[in-house]
Amino acid sequence: MSSAQASTRMQRTSGLRRALGANSGTIIAAVVFAVLLMVVDWVGAGPLTYFDISFLSSGGATSAIAAIGQTIVIISGGFDLSAGAVISLVNVVLASNMDPMSMQASTALWTAVGIGVGMAVGAFNGFFIAFLRMQPIVVTLSTMFILQGVTLLVMDKPGGFVSPDLGAFYLGDAIPGWLPMPVVVICAVLLLWMWLKGTRFGTALYAVGSDTDSAAAVGVNVVLVRFMVYIIAGGCYGLAGVFISAQTGSGDPLVGNPLLLSMFAAVVVGGTRLGGGQGGPVGTVFGAFILMIVVNILLVLNVSAYYSTIAEGTILFLAVLAGSMSHGSVLAIQLRAARARFAAYRAGTLPSQIDRVDRRLATTSGARRSEPSNATRPAFHIRHAETLRFALPAFVCLILVIAVTQLWLGRAVLNPGYWNSLLVLSSFLAVLALGQGTVILTGGLDLSVPWIIGISGIVLAGMVNGSDAALVYALPTVLAMACVVGFANGVGIVYLGISPIVMTLAMNGILQGFALLYSQGTPAGFSSPMLRWFMTGRIAGMTPVVLFIIGFVIFAVLLLGRTAFGRRVYGIGNGLRAAQLSGIAVEKTLILVYILSALCAAVVGIMLTGFSGQASLGMGDDYLLPSIAVVVVGGALITGGRGHYIGMLGGVLLLTSLQMLLAGTTLPYATRAILYGLVVLGAVMALRERNTR
Amino acid sequence: MAFGSKALRLALLAGMAAGSLCASTAAQAAEKYKIYLSMSFIGNDWQAEAANMVKAMAAHKSMADKVDLQVQVAGPNAQRQIQQINAMVQAGAQAIVIFPISPTALNQVVKNACDKGVKVFAYDAEITEPCAYNIHIDQEEAGRVTAEWLVDKLGGKGEIIAITGVPGTSVDDQRTKAAKEVFAKHPDIKIVGEAVGMWSQAVARTELSKILATRTWDDIDGLWMQVGCFTANAMQLEAGKTPADLLPCAGEGANGGRIQMLPEGTEVEGASSPYAPLGAPRISYASPPYSGALALKLAVEALEGKDVPKLTVLPLPVVTSETVKLCEEGTWDEMKAGCNAFKPALVSNPGWFASIFSDQTPEVGLNAALVGQPED
Repeated sequence: MSSAQASTRMQRTSGLRRALGANSGTIIAAVVFAVLLMVVDWVGAGPLTYFDISFLSSGGATSAIAAIGQTIVIISGGFDLSAGAVISLVNVVLASNMDPMSMQASTALWTAVGIGVGMAVGAFNGFFIAFLRMQPIVVTLSTMFILQGVTLLVMDKPGGFVSPDLGAFYLGDAIPGWLPMPVVVICAVLLLWMWLKGTRFGTALYAVGSDTDSAAAVGVNVVLVRFMVYIIAGGCYGLAGVFISAQTGSGDPLVGNPLLLSMFAAVVVGGTRLGGGQGGPVGTVFGAFILMIVVNILLVLNVSAYYSTIAEGTILFLAVLAGSMSHGSVLAIQLRAARARFAAYRAGTLPSQIDRVDRRLATTSGARRSEPSNATRPAFHIRHAETLRFALPAFVCLILVIAVTQLWLGRAVLNPGYWNSLLVLSSFLAVLALGQGTVILTGGLDLSVPWIIGISGIVLAGMVNGSDAALVYALPTVLAMACVVGFANGVGIVYLGISPIVMTLAMNGILQGFALLYSQGTPAGFSSPMLRWFMTGRIAGMTPVVLFIIGFVIFAVLLLGRTAFGRRVYGIGNGLRAAQLSGIAVEKTLILVYILSALCAAVVGIMLTGFSGQASLGMGDDYLLPSIAVVVVGGALITGGRGHYIGMLGGVLLLTSLQMLLAGTTLPYATRAILYGLVVLGAVMALRERNTR
Repeated sequence: MAFGSKALRLALLAGMAAGSLCASTAAQAAEKYKIYLSMSFIGNDWQAEAANMVKAMAAHKSMADKVDLQVQVAGPNAQRQIQQINAMVQAGAQAIVIFPISPTALNQVVKNACDKGVKVFAYDAEITEPCAYNIHIDQEEAGRVTAEWLVDKLGGKGEIIAITGVPGTSVDDQRTKAAKEVFAKHPDIKIVGEAVGMWSQAVARTELSKILATRTWDDIDGLWMQVGCFTANAMQLEAGKTPADLLPCAGEGANGGRIQMLPEGTEVEGASSPYAPLGAPRISYASPPYSGALALKLAVEALEGKDVPKLTVLPLPVVTSETVKLCEEGTWDEMKAGCNAFKPALVSNPGWFASIFSDQTPEVGLNAALVGQPED
């Protein structure tokens, strides 16, 4: 996803080096894991025993098995956000259906049930993604909401019963004293994968992930491959659900949800590249265990609780950085480039050192001018046909939702208070959508949003402490801090070659630690009267922030549509190599993009502090997935290059109005979650690709 | 391998990790009970406050030479907590104090710990495995008492809004079900809006804003919230209500809410609206954050061979507008005399939980909850 990764691949020409390169991620993940294991052994209270290994293997097995499924999806060029929800669903299905009276339970039968449930969900995902050509991230996000609702319908609180037989089988020993069962299960899944990889399907899978068009051109049935990918992945999540059921012996409707983010981290630490075509599940298994063993390391080192997220983030960062250390790594390339630039500077041949004289060809200037004066400009709807096609569905759905609100709850269309609330509640996501949207347009993803919001709000509240005058220096301080964070994200991604997901995920953990240290657990201070008025006061029935948002929307549209920066962002998203060759300063632009995203998150932190009157830890946590959802619902392509801010704004308004509609009813939460998922799915149905791609 | 060389390496690594570690020498550790605290998520007010109180308890002079406490955070992930508890058992824990992420998912690993002679204490939420010691309030009582108060306040008739906690948790389920049973007995009480509040003031505000987009405050007669009364009162003031018009609200034990309950016009140091006395009609309850400190104390007693019951049900800390009383300094003695709200000058965060008093924990007072410093 960065400039140099593309060139890295181009450098590896010889077959042997390519083979080594393709597996280097796996090898390095294995080495990192071995080193960490040695650290645990070295500082632990005694030498590692069979029991330690057994515990470790069962601890990491759930996320390892689920992450194998996620890896296969990612190799195919997809993305699956429903993985955690499937694990929860399988867990409650097993726990609520096993009979506590009969202690005997068929391990094979219940394993099949779990895998079957997972595959059924996978088929649902696969149907929309493969046959209806919808974007994986939206489909699986909708599925996630729907499944969370279904899970709560099956079991609304922790409980239930899972037969101890299942636990005895999955957590026992394959060979007592030598080989724990979880290791065998993981190896069995990996062996299945090895077999699959050797089949035609395996080749097709990598082909689809590398280049869909070429794969289709040589006769690969892309639709079928994609469909199968989600079914296989669903089976893996199902098995992970069975495993966690065996491990916990009971059901809990929330057990799988927190596994989602660490699953992506495991995939990336294991050397699989997001975007498809490269990597494999073996590395992922090591990745999952690296993340798991960190828990033990923190324990033996007695790292204070406040530092634990910082330590975790740093370990994740270092593990990935160590993994990319080689002659062909981005860092090495950047260093060589810097040396070359320095040499050029000494020699006086840098472009900036050469005199600025007009070197244009004599013919160009005259010829270009004359053309547009004669030709009539095409009509608005033709010039913006693509933008309209992808942005309109969100607005059409918005009108539908508002109409339903009017019919069901009344007091919407003619009630200025409704519109004001809609805009105020949308304002947070509208600002985030610009930052996250720009990052997504370049093909990245910013996961550090939650704690940039959190730390910005906490620092602001602490500095302001109810005084309007303090805003004068507090606001610039917080925004400057965000710039530093965004800059660090950008540098890590561009110059160290760390994938955006890992870099921003690690940054999120580090910021969380800083926020805890700064606040000592209880954030002090509260927002000043002026900031509170800005978010909650009224000027002629309108909250001041509404005016700000109108200005912000104009700014965002101009920034992305009418500036060189905006053009460069689209250029990078559409083709990184092409952008580089056409002279775009890719590195600089990408860093600016991450700074923009961090700034937007900081502004949201400030706004939330004003809205709530105070800052709280974790106040940004609820904004991560929605910030991605609105961008995609608004018609942007998650792989970058396509999307318009107006569409994203439509997505923001749609999701907010839908939540307002659901909040006005007294439907149970589970039903609301299902409805929410279905509406998002329906809204993007219209966005699907209709051509043969 | 000799233990001494391990300690040396540990110290070496401690130096490398720049002060974040505290290595204890082998000699000290030998005399002390090795106790671990496995917290869930540290990123909210309640958890941080509870952690401070546990640390203060461990640092109290009656405990300091008996206890070697190590604190670890598992995040929201039950899988990680399982792994963490396993690692603690392996590291030689004698007792483990847990804020359980799930009441059921930890059962196997807790049973395994018990089998190895480790005492396991769960605070605030429960662990259903029978060998664990549980310390928490009766959540159903909390739901029932607050709902009954609201019904009384409304004279058995009115339209109310309910803001619940985190869906899918036992605590939320028990509180909400108990409250709804009470409301169901009074057919004239109607829940006209219901939202998930995630036990957060910020979420409560967002959800209330959504509900009020199609309603006005005048359509509503009362509020039943697990967390959010402080915010609801602030929103009513913003909408132009006077303190005398505030709707009755049954909800959390945040200090901001307690201050609002004081009669309007009371002189309070550091107060500024909405974190100020308003005479708000309230009942305020909480899962008290001292439960972790009490769990640690009981764990030490159990290790000393005293008889500790498997289940300690804490008295439900209930404060109403009639019983609210401002503390001067917040010492344990002062709270024992009956004060239950703290000056904004001392507690600047209105979301901070004020139910920190227990008869059984004279070791910890306001300073313990704020900065982890025990009473003298």
